Amino acid sequence: MTENLVHKHAEHEEQSNDRLMFGFWVYLMTDLLMFGVLFAVYAVLHNNNVGGPSDKELFKLPLALTGTLLLLTSSFTCGLGMIGARKGSVKQVLSWFSVTFLLGLAFLGLELFEFTQLIHEGHTMSANAFLSSFFVLVGTHGLHIISGLLWLLVILIYVVKRGLTPSMVRKLGYLSLFWHFLDVVWIFIFTVVYLKAFV
Amino acid sequence: MKEFLIGKLSFDALPHDTYMLGASESFILFGIIIFGYVTYKKRWKWLWNEWLTSVDPKKIGIMYFIVGGLMLIRGGVDAIMLWLQQALSSGASHGYLSADHYQQIFTAHGNIMVFFVAMALIFGLINYFVPLQIGARDLASPFLNTLGFWLFIAGVVMVNMFFFLGGEYAATGWLAVAPLSGKEFSPGVGVDYWMWSLQISGIGTTLGAINFIMTILKMRAKGMSLWKMPPFAWGSLLSMIMAVTVFPLLTMTLFLVFFDRYFGTHFFTTTEGGNAMMYTNLIWMWGHPEVYILILPAFGVFSEIVSTFSGRPIASYKSNVVGMIGVATLALSVWLHHFFTMGANANVNAFFGIMTVLIAIPTSVLVFNWIATLRRGRIRLKTPMLWFLGFASIFAVGGITGVMLAVPPVDFQLHNSLFLVAHFHSTVIGGVLFGIFAGLSYWFPKIAGFRLNEKIGRYAVWCWIVGFFLAFTPLYILGLMGATRRLDHYEASTGWQPFFIVSLIGSLVIAAGVALQIIQIIASFIEKKKLMDTTGDPWDGRSLEWSVASPAPAYNFAIIPEVHSREAFWEMKKLAPKAPHYEDIHMPKNTATGIYISLFAFLMGFGFVWEINWLAVVSILAMIVCFVRKGFNEDSEYTIKAEDVEKAERAHADKMKALVHTKQLRNDGEDDMGLIEFIKLVATWAFSLLRRKK
Amino acid sequence: MSENTHNHSSKNGEHGTVVSYLIGFMLSLFLTVIPYYIVVNKVVTGNKLLVTILGFAFVQMLVQIFFFLHLGRGPKPLYNVLFFVATVGLIVVAVGGSIFIMNNLYRNMSPYDVTLKLSENEGIAQVGNIKTGACQGLNKNHKVVIKTGKVTPVLTEAHLCDTLTFINEDGQEILLVFGPKSYGGEFDKRVNKVKPMSITLNELGTYSFTDSKDPSVSGFFVVTEHK
Repeated sequence: MTENLVHKHAEHEEQSNDRLMFGFWVYLMTDLLMFGVLFAVYAVLHNNNVGGPSDKELFKLPLALTGTLLLLTSSFTCGLGMIGARKGSVKQVLSWFSVTFLLGLAFLGLELFEFTQLIHEGHTMSANAFLSSFFVLVGTHGLHIISGLLWLLVILIYVVKRGLTPSMVRKLGYLSLFWHFLDVVWIFIFTVVYLKAFV
Repeated sequence: MKEFLIGKLSFDALPHDTYMLGASESFILFGIIIFGYVTYKKRWKWLWNEWLTSVDPKKIGIMYFIVGGLMLIRGGVDAIMLWLQQALSSGASHGYLSADHYQQIFTAHGNIMVFFVAMALIFGLINYFVPLQIGARDLASPFLNTLGFWLFIAGVVMVNMFFFLGGEYAATGWLAVAPLSGKEFSPGVGVDYWMWSLQISGIGTTLGAINFIMTILKMRAKGMSLWKMPPFAWGSLLSMIMAVTVFPLLTMTLFLVFFDRYFGTHFFTTTEGGNAMMYTNLIWMWGHPEVYILILPAFGVFSEIVSTFSGRPIASYKSNVVGMIGVATLALSVWLHHFFTMGANANVNAFFGIMTVLIAIPTSVLVFNWIATLRRGRIRLKTPMLWFLGFASIFAVGGITGVMLAVPPVDFQLHNSLFLVAHFHSTVIGGVLFGIFAGLSYWFPKIAGFRLNEKIGRYAVWCWIVGFFLAFTPLYILGLMGATRRLDHYEASTGWQPFFIVSLIGSLVIAAGVALQIIQIIASFIEKKKLMDTTGDPWDGRSLEWSVASPAPAYNFAIIPEVHSREAFWEMKKLAPKAPHYEDIHMPKNTATGIYISLFAFLMGFGFVWEINWLAVVSILAMIVCFVRKGFNEDSEYTIKAEDVEKAERAHADKMKALVHTKQLRNDGEDDMGLIEFIKLVATWAFSLLRRKK
Repeated sequence: MSENTHNHSSKNGEHGTVVSYLIGFMLSLFLTVIPYYIVVNKVVTGNKLLVTILGFAFVQMLVQIFFFLHLGRGPKPLYNVLFFVATVGLIVVAVGGSIFIMNNLYRNMSPYDVTLKLSENEGIAQVGNIKTGACQGLNKNHKVVIKTGKVTPVLTEAHLCDTLTFINEDGQEILLVFGPKSYGGEFDKRVNKVKPMSITLNELGTYSFTDSKDPSVSGFFVVTEHK
């Protein structure tokens, strides 16, 4: 009798998780649409540099490539961390997700370096429409990365405190979905913003 | 230092002109009455525990109805002010409103009606009735539900905040077209209030839409495939899928407006490469699907009502659903018809014109479906059916004029004229609002446990229909005569004034209709015992919501039914009832986190409006902390034991049995309290109060 | 704990293995580095390059969606796939539609300085009171005759805003290709016996024209400023 109740409870949990994971996916789609608007705006405004330097003159492709590779690798290590989480291995989770965190941080550092350089030279987001759309598109992605890193930190702290419960594994699942999604968006930023400048 | 602490706030921000003072004082008075009453009755704890922190979609639905209804009155008062100004302001007279004030009023009217009335009431209906129709107990995420509601409330407070601090609202029209909405041309706080109220409630809508989609797709009762779902559930699903796809567009566009105003970026400015036309493009990419988001649930409601009150299923379920899907899909590809005149060439205009005209096809599939259903049915003309008849006539006019406007050369003449205004009011009032009223009168017994007064209800419907035609037909004519929208004054030589006066009279008839609706509700409460719905199925319904008691219990279904046909309840009625086997029910716990997050969201918006940066930053951090705490809180459910469920069901059944023996009024409404009787009752009560004083 | 693994092992198709992540990672690496290489070394140029890199990005997105996000695997992923396809579709409509509309508006409603430039490119001499710098009126017309494989004259010297007319006296239609790059935005032009083809010489420089089928049939024209 109690076995039946336990089974029912587990089934209830699983159905609930399935729904919420689907809901999180729908949320990611809305996030993708918001980036879609930013891409549309960039497509329309990227030539409006009003006499100032153009995208070709301001972007450094090697830097962008390095950042891309860092983020891609972090997405990979995130996946390895999830495998560890489903196996129940706290050690794998902590090690792989720490690597993910550091790679993400490095990516962020490169981006901040690029931004500060541009601003230092006077190319701010309020200079012209091209720079506005560049900073907001890439900056929004950067804000998402910061949120992801903070979120990852909080989860890792809780994993250390509460151990790798099924609930923690689920939360890591959401985070890794978010992290992979950010890498997919970055592919397009790298292509449409950085590579396209040199086409 | 002062600037750091309170940004641009100063004593100047407090209300100091007559209208602002009058409005803010009315709000405060209203607040004192409510606050005082609750304190006098010592019901704060009850209010907090039972209603404000509730995650029950039925309770949240009722709260949406109440706030939406109040905002309907606020928006309606705005409308009457506009009507009065237009009727008076001809030739030498300039009416009683300044041009700037007039502009703020029509902006506020539009925003409130679309976001805080229509969306709110639709969300209320979906919250209450979709779970009941699909055999679910709650939504997929009860927390997101309450969060969405309170974010909506934060938006309501934000859109009314300017009465107390700031004294001005956006004077840009309800969608605040660039570059007028930029810092250069609207330097005050009005547009900032506009932006944040829409942004915060818009995010609430997106979260709510995600929730509804999760629920409808994953929580249907066993055996209920998508093709067995009731039409209202379909309309809601399609509407929410559209919402989840287009509200992010609004969110980002509003953020771009915010960046232009706050950080000096150049997305929509007139200089430094900005492109104001891009704003129009983006905002209508959201704006057009938005009106279809509003109408699809209303279509669903009407399918339910036509079917129930004709005593037969919808003529062709499949084409009904496919028609709604067609409307939803096409609606995403027509947005340019809002700016045919902005300068694109013939090819672009032609493409969007054709796509727009095509929407008439799936819509007419729905209309023919309803007609076919009526044709072979035994029609009962209860109030909900009267609302349907009003809808059919008014919405048809709206739809046809829409197809006219969809033709670019015609639109070049009629763009932004009163013809356009009459068109969209026909569709929104005739379609969305009538759909909401119809749904509320249809489902009222399920919500309250007793039905609404039929007699007074009928008077209300007729006032609305006659009033509508009286108010808006002159506007159609005026539009064709060349009158533009948003005019606060016109020359006497145009000869327009008589039309405006007729229109004003029509608006007063509508106001009478609203008054009658309020009287209807009060009269129903007075006669409550005689109007009781003892069976849970007052209309001989066909879908699952009628299978539970009225009002619906907290857990909706004591036992989740298994569904075998499209008319789940109709089928259940034919079969012999099975012996019920009760099980434990898991219910979500109440939570106050939604209230706290929304409070900080409001403070963040307020901080940005008045450039109180520390407040904005601290609020953002506080929201993050709330989210983290909620995310890691494992204790969110409680259990109702099977025996308690059984006890509750039996208790209700016994109570209803007892009532059946008291005198119930006839279901056709012939013996209901009439208007004269009501007035006599109120007069007697008022006199008795006075006599007691002596 | 054991129940946990029981649940997840039955759904292992939905989650990744080390191998699948590794494949996804390697593929993504290639799909990143290759377009980078193509752009930096200008293997292809112009619109073709844009389409190429967008194509690579799209493919990499699919790779990551499948290998990292596990979309499409597992017993019943239908809704996720449906929503993803719908979102991508809507983005294509929104971004593509915006570009379509805004580009059209750009041509029709452009700022004044841009209107002047566009008009000049199209050979319109004056907008309002302002002269665009485009060619004004007809200047000298130069003729080039192509007959039985011979071009007469082989070299034409002309000034800015003169016109150059190609007359084809052979029966066959020929496709003349300009070099070393396009002239006035056109790579090539068809010339047939019935209708001679003219171009307005609004760009300076030395250009060649060659029959695409027979390289021996070719000539030059040099466009210089008016003195």
